[in-house]
Amino acid sequence: MTPPPAEAAVTSAALAPATAREETPFRRFVADFAESKVAVGAFVVFVVIALLAIFANVIAPQNPYDLAQLDIMDGRMPPGTVGGAGFTYILGTDDQGRDMFSGILFGLRISLMVGAGSAFIAFIVGTSLGLLAAYFGGRTDTLIMRLVDLQLSFPSILVALMILAFLGKGILNVVIAIVVVEWAYYARTVRGTALVERRREYIEAAECLALSKPRIVFRHLLPNCLPPLIVILTMQVARAIALEATLSFLGLGVPVTEPSLGLLIANGYEYMLSGRYWISFYPGIALLVTIVVINLVGDQLRDVLNPRLRK
Amino acid sequence: MTAGLRSLLLAAASSLAFAGGAAAQTLTIAVGAPVTSIDPHYHNLSPNNALAEHLFDGLTGTDSRARLVPRLAESWRAVDDTTWEFKLRPGVKFHNGNDFTAEDVAFTIARAGNVPNSPSSFGIYTRVVSEVQVVDPHTVRLRTRTTYPLLPVDLSNVMMLDRQTHENAATEDYNSGKVAFGTGAYRFVRYTPGDRIELERNDAYWGQREPWQRVNYRIIVNNAARTAALLAGDVDFIDQVPTTDIARMKQDNRVHVSEVVGLRIIYLALDHSRTDGSPFVAGPNGEALDRNPLKDVRVRRALSMAIDREAITSRVMEGAAIPAGQFLPEGVYSHIPGYGPPRFDPDGARRLLAEAGYPNGLRISIHGPNDRYINDARIIQAVGSFWTRIGVRTQVEAMPWTTFIARAGRQEFSAFLVGWGSSTGEASSPLRSLVATFDREKGFGASNRGRYSNPELDRLLEQALATVDDEKREKLLQDATRIAMDDVSIIPIHIQKNTWAMKRNLRHDARADELTRAQDVRPAN
Repeated sequence: MTPPPAEAAVTSAALAPATAREETPFRRFVADFAESKVAVGAFVVFVVIALLAIFANVIAPQNPYDLAQLDIMDGRMPPGTVGGAGFTYILGTDDQGRDMFSGILFGLRISLMVGAGSAFIAFIVGTSLGLLAAYFGGRTDTLIMRLVDLQLSFPSILVALMILAFLGKGILNVVIAIVVVEWAYYARTVRGTALVERRREYIEAAECLALSKPRIVFRHLLPNCLPPLIVILTMQVARAIALEATLSFLGLGVPVTEPSLGLLIANGYEYMLSGRYWISFYPGIALLVTIVVINLVGDQLRDVLNPRLRK
Repeated sequence: MTAGLRSLLLAAASSLAFAGGAAAQTLTIAVGAPVTSIDPHYHNLSPNNALAEHLFDGLTGTDSRARLVPRLAESWRAVDDTTWEFKLRPGVKFHNGNDFTAEDVAFTIARAGNVPNSPSSFGIYTRVVSEVQVVDPHTVRLRTRTTYPLLPVDLSNVMMLDRQTHENAATEDYNSGKVAFGTGAYRFVRYTPGDRIELERNDAYWGQREPWQRVNYRIIVNNAARTAALLAGDVDFIDQVPTTDIARMKQDNRVHVSEVVGLRIIYLALDHSRTDGSPFVAGPNGEALDRNPLKDVRVRRALSMAIDREAITSRVMEGAAIPAGQFLPEGVYSHIPGYGPPRFDPDGARRLLAEAGYPNGLRISIHGPNDRYINDARIIQAVGSFWTRIGVRTQVEAMPWTTFIARAGRQEFSAFLVGWGSSTGEASSPLRSLVATFDREKGFGASNRGRYSNPELDRLLEQALATVDDEKREKLLQDATRIAMDDVSIIPIHIQKNTWAMKRNLRHDARADELTRAQDVRPAN
């Protein structure tokens, strides 16, 4: 369980000057995280991807969501072709004449927004319910945790498909579907941690001071349950991005004129065998890289935030 | 020694020649849509009808350009407005040796609409017949309830059965082969549902002798698998070549592609049902309108002119369609010669919109299926792009067919993409179903989901349906079609091509009606 003491000694020695100056938890966290070069690299790539997505409308040569800018005569052009509008399609075009590079930038924006947004909402909902279950116990606990069991017993893609079939298409509905699918993971994790924490002395002390229940739960219990939740949050962002891509690939997510990465892949899927690989290939690579870097960052966070691995 | 060697070589050579001959006489076809029964009157479905044409014959038939030709009837004529007389071909025998006579026609007409559990009945072709009169063994008269000039066309879909063999036979007996006897060019050998049907040549056939001793009619639903089976040489002939593969196959010199313009038109229907604002049309800034712009023919014409049909057929359909300006392609009965698709003219479209009182354009949503027609979702996106460029900002919504068609039938949309296959191979079918005023009792406008209505068109159509003379009827149908198109009742986009691919040494007479038959495949010489 515990890592060899020699390694720990080396680590603390290397960090000695910094820690000697001022050991704040944040500095320590950053230093621990930076131990893995792969994780740092992944983080840098992630920042680049996020910036590309945020400034998509500045960087992209074309607004892929404006139908008036698409020229069908430029459809299915291979990478490097100069189109009718005068700029080069560096990653080619899809069947509607949509510049793949612009499409990927805008698609990343949707993917990251949906991924981060839905994971964060699920985090809030799931954490609140999990804390309530742990703190109050009894019937509340049973009710919430059985709901979690029920939720987790269905494959998430099936639940998401049912919700979208009921609500209809649209980005907001995709977010709702992902939140419904994912909240249970947070609830279950936070309940486990909170059950341990609530028997600790500081909670007892807070109760003796007759602090209000919400205050105890959110100001004292929650901060001490956060580390595992942050790890789950990063993992779930990646999962949410993948789920959105899947739903869009199946034609249930975003509108056809505003494709996300999943729909871009679906658009080119039929052309794979006829030699026009780029329509599916590049958005697929973009999706792959995004999910992998988020997962790498999440992995390192888990190592850093897990006290059992640190001591 | 030399003599032994020589005879050995000779034997080898002759066995090779024999094997080559046998292989050349077997044709393996792979079709993309499953055949659901051998019973020719069980399920009115193109794949079933295509197979039935191997085993059975109708009184009449259609050639590859959907023109009527004699089959078991040598000739027919209208005796009066409600009586048709058919002269039957003498000396025709069923596969089990029974003679084909007028009695069998009477039996067939009575049976076709009365097959138990039929998912889609052949009664639509025979219901109009009120009485069958057997004049002599080779003459039969059919009396119709009303004047009905299309009877010989409709009967091309009804395969003739033998009273002696098929009386009291159930659909299962056809599938098992017990009563699978027709007069057709091929005899039934075996049927494995969902997999294949095996056929062999009928040497006593009344018509031209077939070049194929045996035919394996296989079902391979998956597009990629069917294409791969042809390229690998497992099958000789496939239908429904995916549009994404057509270009590649045309360049591949191992295979030969045959195609023909079909009878299925892809078009946009428009909301004519409301006068005070349509649900998915709004002003240029999204504000609600108090009148429906689609009721104005100038707006409809502008929307039609804004579409570059050449671009859609060449880029989206990759050549597997031709631009359409009317219901039927050239060469088909009741096509209007010289009446082409509207010219692509975005500037003219913008002027027309301004003239109609929308100088700043409009907003519209276009709906369509994403799993029904070839490249359906891509077509509406392309249309959306053309409309946006003339100032009609377009939202595009593609959805599964079942959801889509239910909503379209409730008049929920303003502009939407649908298709129509003219099964009769003439214009009365689309006129009656798509643009005639909706009237449940008359059976008019059954698929007129935009509720277009024009009394003049209705009058011409009714007159055409009561005219037995082919030439006069054609003129009336053309006039009605011209009204529908001049008035932009619908916006035609393109007519699909049907495509087949085969080994290089075969030739195929491609059929407009999409049927895949061994009779149309010949060795190339």
